[in-house]
Amino acid sequence: MQTFRIRIPVFLLSGILLAACNGEAEAPLVASDIVISEPPPGRAMSAGYLTLRNNANSVVRISGVDSPQFGFVEIHETRLDDGVARMLLVPELLIPAKSSVTLQPGGKHLMLMRPIGSPDKISLSFYDDETLLLSVQAPMTRRNN
Amino acid sequence: MSARNLIIAIVLGSALAAGIFVAARMNQPAALQHAFAVPIPQPLPAFTLIDQNGNAVTADTFRGQWDLVFFGFTNCPDICPTTLQILANAKRAFISAKIEVTPRIVLVSVDPERDTPEIMGKYVDYFGDGNLGVSGELAELTKFTAALGIYFEKMPAEGENYSVNHSAAVLVINPQGEFSALFSAPHDVSNYIHDLPILMGAD
Repeated sequence: MQTFRIRIPVFLLSGILLAACNGEAEAPLVASDIVISEPPPGRAMSAGYLTLRNNANSVVRISGVDSPQFGFVEIHETRLDDGVARMLLVPELLIPAKSSVTLQPGGKHLMLMRPIGSPDKISLSFYDDETLLLSVQAPMTRRNN
Repeated sequence: MSARNLIIAIVLGSALAAGIFVAARMNQPAALQHAFAVPIPQPLPAFTLIDQNGNAVTADTFRGQWDLVFFGFTNCPDICPTTLQILANAKRAFISAKIEVTPRIVLVSVDPERDTPEIMGKYVDYFGDGNLGVSGELAELTKFTAALGIYFEKMPAEGENYSVNHSAAVLVINPQGEFSALFSAPHDVSNYIHDLPILMGAD
């Protein structure tokens, strides 16, 4: 029978212990499945999709997103009303305690405007007013045809 | 008629009825799951728009092939590229499956103010070869959209960052140039893979 030994580096362990002292075993806000499509040729905007997981025991509020690779970033929502697509600005995104919110095609999404150059990697920072909640990096997805 | 003959007649009659029923069922095309087929396909109205190469686009442009027509705009980050990618993926699936008749993908701009033929060309080419990008005068666009029940409305905003609300359906135009079916949003590639061969084969 095989045995599996899990090695946890000391620095990570101390981080976990520190987090445990704060009452949190995991990072409070985690992003996954990040997809940021490249802007179509000649277009100065694109969409970003991801899942945000709130591991904390209280609601997380996101009121701003920025990226050094884009002039500005907003959270938008595509709404279908009677077959008509409408774009709405989402001024704040609330993620309930111990829950996830998924930004996906045809729903809530990041609207990334005015790309700076043609970057391969995108950094995104999420804020509650001036408080930085999370910074993540993701590759720019090229649309394949 | 004797009782025996009556029984034979009933048995034969029932068998014939059952046979006709089965034959009718077998001749029926597979049922559409997502698309709505227009009971009487509608001819397109008179209008003159312009394609990405500067050629006139009229009702006649839609004769001779199956067209999947989406109304959107190139500054739309979410539903427009997502829908065009779904249509492109469906078309690619047909080519892989060796289905000979593949539809043409058409984007009609509901933002002709910003979407010049040049912008439309770059945009539709991004989603594959053979796509048609249509823009033109607002008055001509309205003739086309009004006849097809397509709604669009420019939303007030400061400067160039305005958005346009628009119907999100994909219309199917048959090779006779008639509006023959409609796919409602939300779109999914499997809807097209299932229903389009039925629609195209039924014509």
